[in-house]
Amino acid sequence: MKKAALIEKNGRLRIYILLAVFAVFFAVIAFRAFQLQALEGGKLGRMAANQHNRTVSVPSRRGEIFDRNLKELAVSLDVDSVYAEPGRIESPKAASRALAPVLSMDAREIERRLGSGRGFVWLKRQIDLGDDQRRKVAAIEGVGITKEARRFYPNRQLASNLIGFIGKDSGGLEGIELYYDNFLKGVSYRLTGERDAAGKTLMYEDVNKQASIRGMEIELTIDKTIQYIAEKSLARAVEAYGAKGGSAIVMNPSTGELLAMATLPTYDPNNFNSFMPREWRNRAVTDAFEPGSVVKLFLISAALEENATRPEEIFFCENGSYRVADRTFHDVEKYGWLTTSQIMKYSSNIGAAKIGERLGKQRLHRYLKSFGFGEKTGVDLPGESAGSFMNYKKWSGVTIDTVSFGQGISATGIQLVTALSAVANGGFVMKPYVVRRVADSKGAVVAETNPSIVRRVISEKTARKMTELLIGVTDSGGTGTRAALDGFEVAGKTGTAQKADLKKGGYHESAHVATFMGFVPARDPKLAILVMIDEPKKEHHGGVVSAPVFKEIASESLSYMGVYPEGPGGAKTSMVQYVSAVSQSPLQAREGGRGAYAGTKEDDAAVGGVPDFTGKTVRSVLNAAKERSLEVSIIGSGRAVAQRPSPGRGVPRNIPVVVWFQ
Amino acid sequence: MIDRRSFVHFDWVTFFVTIALTLIGLASVYSAIHARSPSISYKEIYWIVIGLALLMAAVIMNYTLLERFAYFIYGASLLLLVMVFAVGHSAAGAKRWLHLGFFTVQPSEMAKLALVVTLAKYFSSKATPHGGLSLKDLIVPGLIMLAPFALVAKQPDLGTAIILWMIFWSMALVVKIRVKVLAGLFIAGAAMTPFMWKALKGYQKARLTSFLDPRLDPKGTGYHIMQSKIAIGSGGFTGKGYLHGTQGKLMFLPEHHTDFIFAALAEEWGAIGSLAVILLFAVLILSGLNTAGTSKDRFGFLLAFGLTAMLFWHAAINLGMVSGLLPVVGVPLPFISYGGSFLITSLTAVGILISIRMRRFMF
Repeated sequence: MKKAALIEKNGRLRIYILLAVFAVFFAVIAFRAFQLQALEGGKLGRMAANQHNRTVSVPSRRGEIFDRNLKELAVSLDVDSVYAEPGRIESPKAASRALAPVLSMDAREIERRLGSGRGFVWLKRQIDLGDDQRRKVAAIEGVGITKEARRFYPNRQLASNLIGFIGKDSGGLEGIELYYDNFLKGVSYRLTGERDAAGKTLMYEDVNKQASIRGMEIELTIDKTIQYIAEKSLARAVEAYGAKGGSAIVMNPSTGELLAMATLPTYDPNNFNSFMPREWRNRAVTDAFEPGSVVKLFLISAALEENATRPEEIFFCENGSYRVADRTFHDVEKYGWLTTSQIMKYSSNIGAAKIGERLGKQRLHRYLKSFGFGEKTGVDLPGESAGSFMNYKKWSGVTIDTVSFGQGISATGIQLVTALSAVANGGFVMKPYVVRRVADSKGAVVAETNPSIVRRVISEKTARKMTELLIGVTDSGGTGTRAALDGFEVAGKTGTAQKADLKKGGYHESAHVATFMGFVPARDPKLAILVMIDEPKKEHHGGVVSAPVFKEIASESLSYMGVYPEGPGGAKTSMVQYVSAVSQSPLQAREGGRGAYAGTKEDDAAVGGVPDFTGKTVRSVLNAAKERSLEVSIIGSGRAVAQRPSPGRGVPRNIPVVVWFQ
Repeated sequence: MIDRRSFVHFDWVTFFVTIALTLIGLASVYSAIHARSPSISYKEIYWIVIGLALLMAAVIMNYTLLERFAYFIYGASLLLLVMVFAVGHSAAGAKRWLHLGFFTVQPSEMAKLALVVTLAKYFSSKATPHGGLSLKDLIVPGLIMLAPFALVAKQPDLGTAIILWMIFWSMALVVKIRVKVLAGLFIAGAAMTPFMWKALKGYQKARLTSFLDPRLDPKGTGYHIMQSKIAIGSGGFTGKGYLHGTQGKLMFLPEHHTDFIFAALAEEWGAIGSLAVILLFAVLILSGLNTAGTSKDRFGFLLAFGLTAMLFWHAAINLGMVSGLLPVVGVPLPFISYGGSFLITSLTAVGILISIRMRRFMF
């Protein structure tokens, strides 16, 4: 019994030792629980949230882009995108083999993606699957299909340089798609939900309830038909002359609306990746070039406005060789005495240089600045270049001469056509624009662009004189006769510029830019058109290469618009009116006005010309209009700043006079 | 056999702690599983009822009966283990279950009780040599342990095998092993480690390495540990609230109603809840040791100690594994993890403990 007691006692001792061991174990575990929960709780809690919470970005459906007649230029289609969660796929090999034919992908490529170690991979995005294919995909555990909207450009390359395109993540990358991305993309909505370990998502909110997330619709000033005409005509010339590229811009000179903007090279935005980035560019806006003789148009406008010369004044053209300081300027043909009109008609460099000298650096610089050289037009397109136009204080001795015939100055196509429009519309530099209306997905107009006058550069009188001079250019004997149209007078100017040699300095002997720009009908311009062809081979004169393109675009566009010549000689044009955007209320345009050109023929019923509304209030304009039984369309509020037609011009009955207020 | 006086000495502490843990277990199992398989909670209730009946039976029964039938119980449990191989039912790659008419049992659970009873009987019947057990003295009890150990390990059920192993060494230690023998065994064990490592299967090695650093392979073998730690940790101090745990419900945490129930519980109840559960276990173990220390005979002492050790090792290994302190070996948490056989075993063990305690003054 004593021995047993001893053992008992020792047993007790060991129990206490084991008790201590047990206690230590419990203490460690209690500490561990405390450590995980109280000390690392925050970090581990975030890890939990990371794996449980799933935010799904529901991409909004991108708004569509229409032309001015609401023809679709860019649309969004619902298509399938196939993804995989590799963690849930039992046999990547079997899954790859099953998917390869459905997705028309290489099985090895699929397997490679499945083995990338990520929790979620796209297998193929934006494809069209049939019901049968969809079922096959859905049958594979860990592979799923989701609906995505794909951007589709139904007219392919038509206006692609202008419209641009979007990337896979639905952001606009070029053109309108980029410039108006914020409107088009709408609001992508983020949904939060829970995700289980198998990757299934349980949403807190109903995806379908979010209806107002669509992007806005955009309506361009571009007319798809005129755009097509411009592209087709430009492409034909560029091909015929083996040129590097070119651009053709058609503008409504009264408003600054761009009706067409064609550039080459071009690309298919549905498949933009297989084209070079340089082919995506909208050269008419991004690329400045030395315009050459077309600058004479602005030079002589300035000189006439300043009374520095008269159309009949004669200049001695030095028989084709004029030495100034260390430079000698040449004319293509040798001329003796030429009037200002003839300098324009034959495009004499020497004559232009002399008029420039007469005008003086300061005034020439001021006028060209006013016409918009060296300054962005502010057109609603990305990547606009300002061109280069040095301040007169930095000019060397001969710069006044070279600038006068378009060297040592560079401009973009959009700058030139905007400046040309100022001559066409009676002296107003308009702000060019390409989007005339933004509407939400329900059709309510969100933003509207109205014509806006940047400044007045020359008087109505000067503009009229200039028009006469420019008509001479396309008249027999002028440099631009190939631009002349049957039945319409054409006011225009040719330009042939050697390209600057950026490597060696000076000018290329054989690389030219051939330009023609003009407006038509000359005395009541509906269209201002610029055609620029870059490095044509064989021929390089603007009058030969570009003038026929102008003619083609002008004649086809006018007949499409319903502007017909009237009577023999074509001095007058009929007033089949081109109902422009501004004369229609947005509502009319949406409801009934899907075709914007009213084809009804109206007699020219000018009631002694339109009064000058400038500076008047809305009320007094309405009263004045009532007295003369004129219809007016009021845009904006405040005092009248502009009107169309301009004061004194005739206006047909039932066609409203548009007056802008600020 | 039953004495009115006995109930004066009824161990209410052990009893209520056990009931508390069992109810916590039922609540946790319900929270973890109700969304996907509601029937499991009803099954759990049914097991609790059976378990409590057996607990009361064990309380009423004089534990000395166990001493008398110890070897018979041992033989029966071995027989059942062998039967598992012959007619057993396998699930998840392991053959552990026996169909017994309307329910299935896991004989390996009963083997734990049988081992404790048998070792208690063996050690109490032999006088301990002065200075402690020699290596030779360890052979027979060692074999008593190794027979069920081998059968269980073969199923394979690594967790139960480890428990059997721990029970044996705990009991041998409390009986007293010679210091030299103990030191020798320790050195031999350390020397064997590299060879044991080589003998391990690939997935077993992976379990060990991923335990050491779960971030090595968060999607593979370290997944379980990582998810368990995330569950416990994200509970924070006060927890996400009952039925508001996400790790388990979203199925990030595998076996969240069985071996990893503690992680799910800790997620919902936070540090407060998990420390409370640990405290309850500590009280249970302490009172178990107290029962052993105050038992009236050596068999009772060894039996109480063995049962307490069994419960302790389950709790310690499970909590260690769930909180990332120990490798994942598949040991359930007594009273809380879902699992019928083990719940019955645990409740019976508590019944025996209460029985020993109650009869400490009866000679």
